[in-house]
Amino acid sequence: MRFDLDLPAWQWPFYVMRHPFEGYEDLRWKKAYNMKVAMVIVVLFFLVTIADQVLTGFLHNYTMVKVFNIVPIIINSIVLFFTWVIGNWALCTLFNGEGTMRNICVNTAYALVPYIIGKVVNIILSNCLTRDEYMFLNFVTYITVGYSILLLFSGMKTVHQYNFWQTILSMLFTIVAMVIIIILTVLLVSLFQQVYLFVYAIYTELLYRNPSMSSVALIAIMVGVIAAVVAIICVAYTAFEKAQIRKEQKKLH
Amino acid sequence: MPSIKRIARRVVSAVLAAAVLCTSAVAFADEPYMGYNYDWWGDPVPSQNGYVVDKVVSGQDIGCGSLTTPADLFFDDEEQLYIADSAYVGNFDSKAQKGRIVVTDKDFNLINTIEYLDFSGKQEWLDEKKAALDSGSMDEERYQKETNIYFNTPTGVFVDEGNIYVADSENNRVVQFKPDKDANGIGYGKVDEVYTRPEGIYYDANTTFKPEKVLVDAAKNVYVCITTITRGAVVFSREGEFNGYYGANRVEKTGEVILNAFWKLIMTTEQIKRMKRSVPVEITNFDIDSDNFVYTVTKSKNSDTDILKKMNSAGTNIFINLGYNEYTFGDALVKYYRGTTYSSQICDVDVGPHGEINLLDLTTGRVFQYDDECTLLFVFGGNSDQKGTFTNVNAVESLGTNVYVLDSRKSSITVFKRTEFGSIVQEAMSLFNAGKYEESIEPWNEVLRRDSNYWMAYIGLGNAYLNAKDYENAMDYFYMQSRSGYSDAFKSWRMNFIRDNFTIFAVVIILIFVAIYVISSIRGKKRAKKRAAADKILREQQKKEEG
Repeated sequence: MRFDLDLPAWQWPFYVMRHPFEGYEDLRWKKAYNMKVAMVIVVLFFLVTIADQVLTGFLHNYTMVKVFNIVPIIINSIVLFFTWVIGNWALCTLFNGEGTMRNICVNTAYALVPYIIGKVVNIILSNCLTRDEYMFLNFVTYITVGYSILLLFSGMKTVHQYNFWQTILSMLFTIVAMVIIIILTVLLVSLFQQVYLFVYAIYTELLYRNPSMSSVALIAIMVGVIAAVVAIICVAYTAFEKAQIRKEQKKLH
Repeated sequence: MPSIKRIARRVVSAVLAAAVLCTSAVAFADEPYMGYNYDWWGDPVPSQNGYVVDKVVSGQDIGCGSLTTPADLFFDDEEQLYIADSAYVGNFDSKAQKGRIVVTDKDFNLINTIEYLDFSGKQEWLDEKKAALDSGSMDEERYQKETNIYFNTPTGVFVDEGNIYVADSENNRVVQFKPDKDANGIGYGKVDEVYTRPEGIYYDANTTFKPEKVLVDAAKNVYVCITTITRGAVVFSREGEFNGYYGANRVEKTGEVILNAFWKLIMTTEQIKRMKRSVPVEITNFDIDSDNFVYTVTKSKNSDTDILKKMNSAGTNIFINLGYNEYTFGDALVKYYRGTTYSSQICDVDVGPHGEINLLDLTTGRVFQYDDECTLLFVFGGNSDQKGTFTNVNAVESLGTNVYVLDSRKSSITVFKRTEFGSIVQEAMSLFNAGKYEESIEPWNEVLRRDSNYWMAYIGLGNAYLNAKDYENAMDYFYMQSRSGYSDAFKSWRMNFIRDNFTIFAVVIILIFVAIYVISSIRGKKRAKKRAAADKILREQQKKEEG
């Protein structure tokens, strides 16, 4: 343990980066988890992913720059990050992991620092290198990605107080958990889409039947109808419950 | 009350507007298809038409009666056009005769129609066949077919120094003859040579011999394209001896083929024998250019391998994009419509006088013209019932600046002539391919002025400026158009840039090193101070504890 560890919050990610194994232990010991710094890193991760598409030199840019779509980038950076955090938390709380959601989030974010630095270096280099010199870019990519994975491993190991194999397994199963989360999300979204389509179909049907009616009135009617249906269901359910309770009470007597 | 001036102005403007409307209507109505090209990303972009319809010629226009399912076209060295009229029913013997060869000049004036064959010059060969029939080594049907004096569905025609070669598919033979006219003025052919099914052990006994197309190289070897044979074209020597196969396609690397290759590593020979054999797709058609390179095409819906090959006499494909993706031909986009997949099926190839390659697509009825480096120049034609579009294309030929397309269902030949835009592109392209980059700047600029989407013009101009050592301009033209060109231009530009600004670079680098040294020494001192302070506190604590 070092004595001069009263670092300002923004220096911690760099300290952790310079001490891949000891750093996270110090972070834990000092309770220096800082959510603000972590969020800044996530935003930087997102910006770097955009810059990778937009600013990489023409010679090394193999993305389709004709169309720029931000949705896949958001999914590739921010959604990916939070899915990892949620997946890991959900898995490791079940298997004796000690990390809270906040700590996992901070540790994962700090592990991304080498990756972000590598991407920035790559973006600058890609504007200075010819096509035959792509191996320098690959070199930077491999080193930084590898270092980020090492940091992530170390961070997960420390935050949950696991041993080596437990950490490896938990990381692998986190990926499985991420896949499951994504599948469930897609399912949910498509289900809600169906509900939306159903409501919209009713709306258009009403509109066709009453062409003179204003759309505001229609929406009001629909909200009223839906509220009425929900109310009827609620009333019916409570009545059913009460009937059940009464039956059981009779049985008891 | 409007003044006369105002009325006059209105009338004049109305007339002008009408005139403008009418002319624009005319300008849009001339071609039933829209020219397009592919940009660097592989997306289709609208382009100027390189070829427009000149005229449509039917059998009646030629004066030989209507053509019935014509199958092939050929222009010989004397600019005479040969048409293989494959389902024509003759006048003498309607049962035996099916097909003829129509010969016209380049303006479609009838020269001759070859209706039957004369075997009198081949009496020896006839006797041989008769003997074979009598001895029982040849069956009756085959004898009848091979010595038939009429054609039966001739699907391919080729002319070499006045000798006509016809792939007489239903008669299972290729005949070589010289055209002539008999006393009644009816054309016939004096047979010189007949190429029939090879007898050797190298020719599989179960394989039929149904010649579809034929061509002859400078050494008078005869290449016969048979669609039931996947091993390539059958090659005969001049004397009619079987020489082997030529130019088979490669097997398409599908997942199944790769998996089978893996299984073969671990299976026994017995098991391998029982396995399904993976065979390449057969070649469909071919052409030969003036330098004796053979071009083959493959009509396949599913395969992308070896759609077009340019082969030397050893059968090696020289259209191989070394180190990069393989060339693609035809429409890049596969279209799905009502449960059916439509992708290009290249059914004929023709090589023009300047090495331009015309590929005919059966699916879309379009002609794709490439230069001799496989760059797409123009796309024209289409499928419909208008002038300049087709229902079932069969063959393509070119003569000078014209392209001739044969439609078997419409039984007509459509003549396309090159537009001014086409000529400019052709000029620029031939200068570019000859390495005369500076001279090609002017035509390329003209191309860009007429069609700013024309991808090849950017490449041409980029190369021209790169050659002239104007790297910045070259980079401008190559940007988003060619990675390799941009890389070359950028390399030289970077070299020049560093050379010109060497002092700045040197100073910056030295400054960086100095800064790193200074900062690290300052930080080291700070740290030493901190540590000393911490040690002091520790020592004081120890003293207190001791004290």
